[in-house]
Amino acid sequence: MSQDNYRQLHSSKSDTGSSLPVRLFFASALGWLIISSVLGLIVSLKLQQPSFMSGCEWFTYGRLEILQRNAFTYGWIANAIFGVNLWIMSALARFQFKDTWLAVLGWLGWNLALTFGLGAILLGHINGYALLEMPKEVAPALFISFLFAALWPAVAFVRRPTGHVFVSQWYIIGASFVFPVAFAITQLFVIWYPASGVLQALIHSWFIQNIQLLWIGSSAIAASYYLLSKESGRMISAYYLSTVGFWTYFLFAGWTAPATLLGGPIPVWIQSTGVTAMLMMLLPVIVLGINFFGTLSYNRGFSGAWNNTTLRFVLVGIASFLLSSVLNIIFSTRSLNAIVRFTDFTVGLQQFVNYGFVSMVIFGAAYYILPRVTGKFWPSAKLVHLHFWSSTIGGLGLALYLIICGYPAGQTALVSYYIPVIGFVLLQCVGHVAFAINSLVMLFASPRTPHDNTHA
Amino acid sequence: MKDFNLILAGIFFTLVASFGGLLISGEVQLGSLGRAPAEEGGPLYPLNEPGLAIQGRQVYLELGCVTCHTQQVRPAGQGNDIAKGFGPRPSVARDYILQSQLLLGNHRNGPDLANYGARAKSDEEIHGHLRAPAAGSTMPAYNFLYVVDKNGKTQPTERAQALVAYLKSLRIDYNSPEAKLKQ
Repeated sequence: MSQDNYRQLHSSKSDTGSSLPVRLFFASALGWLIISSVLGLIVSLKLQQPSFMSGCEWFTYGRLEILQRNAFTYGWIANAIFGVNLWIMSALARFQFKDTWLAVLGWLGWNLALTFGLGAILLGHINGYALLEMPKEVAPALFISFLFAALWPAVAFVRRPTGHVFVSQWYIIGASFVFPVAFAITQLFVIWYPASGVLQALIHSWFIQNIQLLWIGSSAIAASYYLLSKESGRMISAYYLSTVGFWTYFLFAGWTAPATLLGGPIPVWIQSTGVTAMLMMLLPVIVLGINFFGTLSYNRGFSGAWNNTTLRFVLVGIASFLLSSVLNIIFSTRSLNAIVRFTDFTVGLQQFVNYGFVSMVIFGAAYYILPRVTGKFWPSAKLVHLHFWSSTIGGLGLALYLIICGYPAGQTALVSYYIPVIGFVLLQCVGHVAFAINSLVMLFASPRTPHDNTHA
Repeated sequence: MKDFNLILAGIFFTLVASFGGLLISGEVQLGSLGRAPAEEGGPLYPLNEPGLAIQGRQVYLELGCVTCHTQQVRPAGQGNDIAKGFGPRPSVARDYILQSQLLLGNHRNGPDLANYGARAKSDEEIHGHLRAPAAGSTMPAYNFLYVVDKNGKTQPTERAQALVAYLKSLRIDYNSPEAKLKQ
């Protein structure tokens, strides 16, 4: 990186008061990423060798798997999303965020509540619903912390006296609003005052789809829009379509919930509504595909993206988004869903979304944001390379391997099986450690003299 | 789109629409489901869970069994659950009306347990499986649920007994108005 680039980097450094909370969110996200990676490693070892650590109740497979999933979602993804959304809002709005302490309070509350909740899971205090497993007493703390960490900053930025509301901001506002509403409603009707019978499962599936598509997915879409435009230096292709994409995405996402319960004990008309909504999701997916890939499709955009660290991660992310979305839609049709439901195919598809799309975009965002927040360069280009290839081969390889092996497993008469994935998980861990070392040095080491080692 | 309030109102509408459309209409259809006799004049199903089974449900939750085992049998046209012997008929909404917290599950590393109580031959068989799963099974041994008494014999703890009582209570081998058993 030349001296000019260095000055440019510093001049574009966000000076909107969000620097401290963004650093804190990224630092804790890294911690949770490492914890969930180690847990993932243990879980895949236990699946392959069930007797491994089976003498201690704390380390039963079921408990550790739940722990890993929660640490990954509420630890890694949530903290990283808080940081990325906060930074993008402040960078787009060019607004002095005065209430930094509120976001810091949110960070503290969220991570304390999460630590307590995960500790409780380890001790066996578990609810039976995915991503609602933490004890109910933790939920109010998570809810209030979210308001401080995400909703208030988003509202404050968008309600600034003047200025345009950009497409990334629509998605961030949507994400920041959907989580507390969906979380509160679901906690109330599934955990605190449970609805009767299978309605609980229906509400839970509605929660999962809202969380997956409208909170996590929307945040990653917002970051993709922002980073593609900023780093490629181009206007978003077919920008006028983005309004259609946004509203159809939000309109249909919640209705897709029953498509995740096909064949289950809920009325068939509700299941059919879910499948129809899932098919309708093709519309926003096409629009997002046109917006994302159209932006990169001319003037050597793809090769340019491949040579840019941030865009290389984002490119893998948006490709995963498109592919996983299409697979999700195709395999929500009844005949195909009958084969793959309950198999590792669905686990692979989830990995495709949460890792291939969301985590890769977050990694790309980190490579863009952290130098601007800290005013430093990435300490090691080799570690960046190691991170990219380990995450791509390990993370996407794991997703594809589970998808490919899970499909035939759904057709067999086997009632008990496992697919060995330890190699992929180990590779992912290597990438995460490389990323964590690079990031932590950047976040906590003293400033360095600029020299050309920032880019992979 | 520049109006923040309009965006927020639109997002709120999308949430309300899906929640109302799916869940409130679901409540209208399913909210008043009650128990029903399997045959005219017979006892009402689903049966109330015995007290020990309720404790066992808690053990099932604590051990995270729901991670690997589902409790729902899909109809014959939607998967091969019945062909695999998971149950004699598909699960229906009425089967779950007494459950305070559903444990439907969403992934299977092991078999579905909706009708496990009817499949298991004896308490000893279930205890044996929990202590030492069959070779090739992906299930770990739950030895910590058992103690060795002064005579050197392995005895189930109260938690193991409760868990077995719960597993035995899982049955859908009765007629439901929505899903009859094949004669």
